[in-house]
Amino acid sequence: MAKNITFIVTKDCQLACKYCYLVGKNMKERMSWETAKEFIDYVLSHESEFPEESVIWDFIGGEPFLEIALIDRICDYLKLRMFELNHHWFNSYRFSFSTNGINYHTPEVQRFIEKNRDHLSIGITIDGTERKHDMNRVYKQPSTDPNGITLSSDKGSYNDVVRNIPLWLKQFPDAGTKVTISSTDIPYITESVLHLYSLGIHQVNINVVFEDVWQEGDDSRFEEQLMTLADAIIDGGYYEDYACSFFSEQIGKPLDPERDNQNWCGAGRMLSVDAAGKLYPCTRFAQYSLREKRALVIGNIKDGINQNLLRPFLTLDRVTQSPQKCLDCEVASGCAWCQGENYDAARTNTIYERSTAICLMHKARVRANNYYWNKLYRKLELEEHREEYEKNHRKSNPEIC
Amino acid sequence: MMQYLVILLDDTSVSYCHCDNPHKERRLIGLDDLRMSIRYAMMENLMVQMVYPNYALPQEYLDVIDTIDHHDIVPWGTGDRPVQEPDVVVMDGLSGESPVLRNVPYVLRITKAGLFKSVDAVAQLTQQVARLNVVITDVETITDAELPKYREVLDTLAEVVKAEYLTGCAPQLNLLTDRMMLDKPNHCNAGVENITLAPNGRFYLCPAFYYTDADDNVGSVAEGLDIRNPQLLRLDHAPLCRHCDVWHCRRCVWLNRKMTYEVNTPSHEQCVMAHTERETTRRLLANVREKATFMSEVEIKEIDYSDPFDVRKEW
Repeated sequence: MAKNITFIVTKDCQLACKYCYLVGKNMKERMSWETAKEFIDYVLSHESEFPEESVIWDFIGGEPFLEIALIDRICDYLKLRMFELNHHWFNSYRFSFSTNGINYHTPEVQRFIEKNRDHLSIGITIDGTERKHDMNRVYKQPSTDPNGITLSSDKGSYNDVVRNIPLWLKQFPDAGTKVTISSTDIPYITESVLHLYSLGIHQVNINVVFEDVWQEGDDSRFEEQLMTLADAIIDGGYYEDYACSFFSEQIGKPLDPERDNQNWCGAGRMLSVDAAGKLYPCTRFAQYSLREKRALVIGNIKDGINQNLLRPFLTLDRVTQSPQKCLDCEVASGCAWCQGENYDAARTNTIYERSTAICLMHKARVRANNYYWNKLYRKLELEEHREEYEKNHRKSNPEIC
Repeated sequence: MMQYLVILLDDTSVSYCHCDNPHKERRLIGLDDLRMSIRYAMMENLMVQMVYPNYALPQEYLDVIDTIDHHDIVPWGTGDRPVQEPDVVVMDGLSGESPVLRNVPYVLRITKAGLFKSVDAVAQLTQQVARLNVVITDVETITDAELPKYREVLDTLAEVVKAEYLTGCAPQLNLLTDRMMLDKPNHCNAGVENITLAPNGRFYLCPAFYYTDADDNVGSVAEGLDIRNPQLLRLDHAPLCRHCDVWHCRRCVWLNRKMTYEVNTPSHEQCVMAHTERETTRRLLANVREKATFMSEVEIKEIDYSDPFDVRKEW
């Protein structure tokens, strides 16, 4: 298993997406080289505290490529120090980015990609058709609110992103994109997924937001969209070479309270650092991600990690945090949660109260998912291709963060 | 099920547990709040535990208190005795004086340094009173390097307890004798079996929550009890503790929250101290049995860890 270590290099972004969970984005909190270096020195000098076989050095914002010069310096230093220390992560690491794609083509970013190609994963977020993408993924206004928080403009970012997709797919042919669905996006799901396929993106990782944004009737509209999408994927033959994470054979089954008791989320097994040198169990616990609660800081680069504060995360299981209705649910598998959102939405300052805002949406997804597999397997059986398909088809990525 | 109502009669009522009472100025609970809380206890079938300050209460308060069957928790002190026949006496550190009431349980609040330094005095006290509850007030600061010293202190106390047992006496020292007497968990259960009413008329999970933050209340007598996420206070919602057999551990939800930010998760420090006590108890039991038949139905298994967090993957 890999350790995921995230640098929150900036809280700034060119965009101010309407569904963005980062409610406290701003232009002030940019990581300095000194902070990054001190954090790296802390992590690499405490090798016994990080026994995982490999590491994913993750860079997030805001928009991480706004800080490409800093990132390049960080990555060079990481490689150098892992080598000098004969660290067990040397040659067992990746650099990972989730970007809005706007700066992807710039010489600075391209130089970085060329330099680190063999240890690099980059995901560009594009939400689907221009209409769907530009509904939410809009540029920020030049001015901020009185608290320095960015504001949304009316200018969509689709054209500035889509122009970089061919280059990205040329460099990373197996790359997938991440699509986020909130209430207003539901009518555009089918056209968006098909559009992404038409751009050459074979893996569409898509999930509904965990926040309690859902309106009455959204589950029915969602189910209808997924049924339409299922028909389109099967009738169009896309299932051979493309994947959409909404459809998975693993979801929609009851879960055993003992055998299937593991936590869904990796918070606490991950580590994040921000510009102030504060450490978090996941970026979602940094203040800019939280609406209602105070940041949950588990240490800092000077004193290290307070191991006592990790104990709740590392002992957290599904049953303890779930309400009875989830334990009794007959379609529980695949119903996800985000520990940060659970914490933010909880009635007390706890990570042990699971938010169930997506309950009806999950059930709608399960119904459409059942339809998808029943229809697909019947078709494959009639064509006598089922066995071959089961062996070779592209699997969906269950990762949702 | 809620069984006990702890009433802090004054802001300077004695602390009988881990958290120091920071209040220095006297402020009695309102007489109406006291009456209402007694009425509440009667209606909810709660046993009341009155916690006293170190001064005599006005007669009108004593009259109201006397309207319900209750226990009195009083401070050891040089001032006027607040009640004639207390049920529990609390010592805040060792005074050097001998206890007057020998048939009463005593609580000794003491720092780890105080305990390390005065183990002989604590051993003597164990022999002098019906029961001694030692409450270490800075559990959260113990380091792994200090554990050998804590083991040594417990061994010293265990020798005294063993000698008492072999002479036919039955001393009670919570750190060493509770675990062998128990056949199931006996945690504090604040917010589950007991609730505290503070002088401001509001409920708290326990006195420590009031001492730490008066806004951190869980309702009032007038508005009713309002504990949010009450399931997290129960043992079945404590992932580490529900697998643990250190049944005498207080499983202090206040310390849990202070140290790990979660009421259902103990810190490393709490676990290793409680496990050190369990291990000394196990050896004490074996040592006594070498000399005499003793509690043959009790078995405390030997384990090779001191923090259940370290073996969590085995569950």
